Amino acid sequence: MRRTAALLSGHGGAGGCSIPSSLADVLVCPLSKKPLRYCEASGALVSDIVGVAFPVVDGIPCLVPKDGKLLDDHQDKPGDSSTGVSSG
Amino acid sequence: MASSAAAARRLQFLHLRRHGYLLPKLHFSTSSAADGLDDGGGGGRVKIFDRDLKRRHRDRAAWAIRESDGFVDAVAENLLDRLEDCRKAFPSALCLGGSAGAVHRLLRGRGGIEKLIMMDMSADMVRKWRESENAAGDGPETHFVVGDEEFLPIKESSQDLIVSCLGLHWTNDLPGAMIQCKLALKPDGLFLAAILGGETLKELRIACTIAQMEREGGISPRMSPLAQVRDAGNLLTRAGFTLPGVDVDQYTVKYNSALELVEHLRAMGETNALFQRNPVLKRDTALATAAIYQSMFGLEDGSIPATFQVIYMTGWREHPSQQKAKRRGSATISFSDIQKQFGPVEN
Repeated sequence: MRRTAALLSGHGGAGGCSIPSSLADVLVCPLSKKPLRYCEASGALVSDIVGVAFPVVDGIPCLVPKDGKLLDDHQDKPGDSSTGVSSG
Repeated sequence: MASSAAAARRLQFLHLRRHGYLLPKLHFSTSSAADGLDDGGGGGRVKIFDRDLKRRHRDRAAWAIRESDGFVDAVAENLLDRLEDCRKAFPSALCLGGSAGAVHRLLRGRGGIEKLIMMDMSADMVRKWRESENAAGDGPETHFVVGDEEFLPIKESSQDLIVSCLGLHWTNDLPGAMIQCKLALKPDGLFLAAILGGETLKELRIACTIAQMEREGGISPRMSPLAQVRDAGNLLTRAGFTLPGVDVDQYTVKYNSALELVEHLRAMGETNALFQRNPVLKRDTALATAAIYQSMFGLEDGSIPATFQVIYMTGWREHPSQQKAKRRGSATISFSDIQKQFGPVEN
């Protein structure tokens, strides 16, 4: 386990690089099956419909529902201009 | 068996029924049975497996995994062999959990895969695959995703091929997972899966049961319920795959002792993840299990055999080009005419 922890902290920096477009094209939100939006600011994949951000760790998107973080509506808005999703 | 409907609807619970009277709380009754009466849509909400625990098992397996594992390699090889039977190429492929590492290693250009996505629940496992992919340096363009088979994060109609090698038997909602796979496939896409079947580890099942009865006066579920062969076809049809095909292979792996067997199971991430498991395994019981295993099933050379039954499932997403049976009553030729044409049947 010690080894695991050491390697995890070695690799898994926050943020991480963006994911290649060929992969991003086929990924959807695991809950709603709707497209995801990549948020540059937080380095996460955001599902606007359910309001959840999925982290991208070390270039690997984590799309397990439990890894997602619920978003505050207020925080989320300024991230992207192209979203026309009404909350609720 | 208050939950017999739920139990029967999901998979067949094995062997424990024989001693069922000993353990009323074993059955998936009470609250989970009430949950099990779902609306019949996408499978049940019955939680049999602890997916979080399975995820940790797979994290551990990422470190314990063997470079090449004879059993896993044999299964992956058998699964991939099916790609050579298809004249179709599969440019985009998705490889799900379980032993996807072996699948990637043994792919060797089969199936004409150009873009491969590898997905697992465990981030450590995915990172491990990426390291070995970087080391190998050849093969198709490969992407890595951490995801759950029960919540497949893949766009509808985007993949030509989905391979799952020894992973799907840990899903709570196997029909649901397979339906999601079907939706992610393009029309005429192929679904290939290998899951462990009900005969798997029957020796260990027996040894565990006897040891627990002997030492603890009762049994707790040490092994997960697994699909039976006859369920596999139903699963494919229920998920809506066309041209379903199921076949079974049985592998016997020899170990020096039961402890080595358990080591191997850990390295594969195949250890018990039942919600209703007993978290305590007494040393006494464990040693008794090993001893019973040795005495009941041990071979002359001192090794012990373990049976692994693997069910291979193939199914296609429907497409107009696929062959299908004609409508009933649409025949225009009598069978007796055919017989006359080709001569009498020799028997």
